Amino acid sequence: MSGRERGERRGVTRRGLLKGAGAAAAAGVIARPAAALAQHADDGVEIAGPGPVHLVLRVNGAAREVEVEPRRTLLDALRGDLDLTGAKRVCDRGTCGACTIWLDGAPAYACSVLAIEAVGSEITTIEGLGTPAAPHPMQAAFARRDALQCGFCTPGFVMACAWAAETHGAALDDATLRRSVCGNLCRCGTYPHVVQAALEGAREMTAARDSGAGDGAKGGR
Amino acid sequence: MKAFRYVRPASLAAAARAAAHEGAVLKAGGTDLLDRMKERVTAPDDVVAVGEAGDASRAIVVDADGTLAIGAFATLADVAASPHVRSRLAALAAAAELAASPQIRHRATVGGNLCQRSRCGYYRLLSFPCLRRGDATCPVLEEGAVQEHAALFGNDACASSHPSSLAPVLCAAGARVVVHGGDAPVTRELATFWRAPARGDDSDVDLAPGAVVAELRVPPLAARSGVAYEEVRQRAAFDWALASCAARIALDGEGRIADAAVWLGSVAPAPFRAAGAEAALRGKSPVAGAFDAAAAAALAGARPLPGNAYKADLVRVVVRRALVRAAEGVR
Repeated sequence: MSGRERGERRGVTRRGLLKGAGAAAAAGVIARPAAALAQHADDGVEIAGPGPVHLVLRVNGAAREVEVEPRRTLLDALRGDLDLTGAKRVCDRGTCGACTIWLDGAPAYACSVLAIEAVGSEITTIEGLGTPAAPHPMQAAFARRDALQCGFCTPGFVMACAWAAETHGAALDDATLRRSVCGNLCRCGTYPHVVQAALEGAREMTAARDSGAGDGAKGGR
Repeated sequence: MKAFRYVRPASLAAAARAAAHEGAVLKAGGTDLLDRMKERVTAPDDVVAVGEAGDASRAIVVDADGTLAIGAFATLADVAASPHVRSRLAALAAAAELAASPQIRHRATVGGNLCQRSRCGYYRLLSFPCLRRGDATCPVLEEGAVQEHAALFGNDACASSHPSSLAPVLCAAGARVVVHGGDAPVTRELATFWRAPARGDDSDVDLAPGAVVAELRVPPLAARSGVAYEEVRQRAAFDWALASCAARIALDGEGRIADAAVWLGSVAPAPFRAAGAEAALRGKSPVAGAFDAAAAAALAGARPLPGNAYKADLVRVVVRRALVRAAEGVR
């Protein structure tokens, strides 16, 4: 996040530059109109695609529109079409957990969900959990406990840990936490700090809820 | 992924009709299908999102006759958390809880778990030949192949092992499956749901093209019965079983085993019924000696390969453990 902010101050970002180049190259493709959802009432089916389809996704509490082919994964739509690059694309096979988001409050691999099937669901990404100015208690605990090295797996870990804390509350213990984040991998091996941070963040979420000051623990659940 | 049409059916019957066409596939949670599509092992023209059908049920209820009815679109997380499953067939909740990761368990469905395709690494990479993708032979059976995960039983043509952890429990409990084929739904035994591997087959299950799994129906356990599930795997977290066993025993008035079911997972191309173990248990007292004998008998018909002979030991272990726990759970 901080790198991106630095780039923006210079008036150009690496990502913006790449996106601009890509858009110019692919202008002919992008200009193609979205196919309307075909109705086949006789067969009892609606058909979308294979070309781009207009979708309205509910992301972090806001309605966001995208025009994507049915084969577009939710992860690629979030990152490529909505510029929500917190969820990371690593294995793209539902194995590493770096793309973990919440769908209707439950953890999911965004790489293993199609954007078109997420229509109607409440999508929560790491950007919706908290901001640098007002971080979620779990994000704050990860930063305070230095629960990362390269940081690439961190957004997925935070989403999985925050879900575990939301789900288990004060009952979240070491073993439950470890089971809850078994679908996330850290190649740097920061697991001990992740566990410390997650348990600490969970305690703070519970305390905030108990004291009625649950504002920082907004999670879209 | 190849571009495809996304088909939303209004009903299970409409989904079955739409998916009966050449080039169409059914998608529920998609956790297996999308992986295969990304590798182009499966490259459909139409993806029929059957989970979006109005009558696609994820409810888990107990019917008036005591049958545990599980909507096929219940997720593994639903099964693991269901009070009905936990009180009537706790082994199924345990098997669901052990599977995969929370992210997968909240998407993957019961129906999809039973219909998932082989997890064989050779099948899932186009750079290798594979009998089930239409090639002449199975590369797992060749000298020098990686056979660590290969099947121990029924591995003559294809040595892939069936990964479902729910299937052995459901089969041992005598579950039946409700299938919609476009006409009236049909209810059949889950035990005969899978078919032997064949060259170029496009499904692991014995279903007509497009047919939709709608519900699983588990009859109430007989009095004085116990069911347990055990598995062994390399990692405690987020791993497939190397061998698994679901066992059900029912005792008669004298405390002897009147009926037994022993089903194995991850050791054959389909969930495998260890009939030898079942026969060895009938009429015996539920004691360690009988369980040891049953565990040995479970290996009848096994054909270990050079790389997976260790699985025979694992089978003995999981069968014995499952039987001991099933006996402890008799009520």
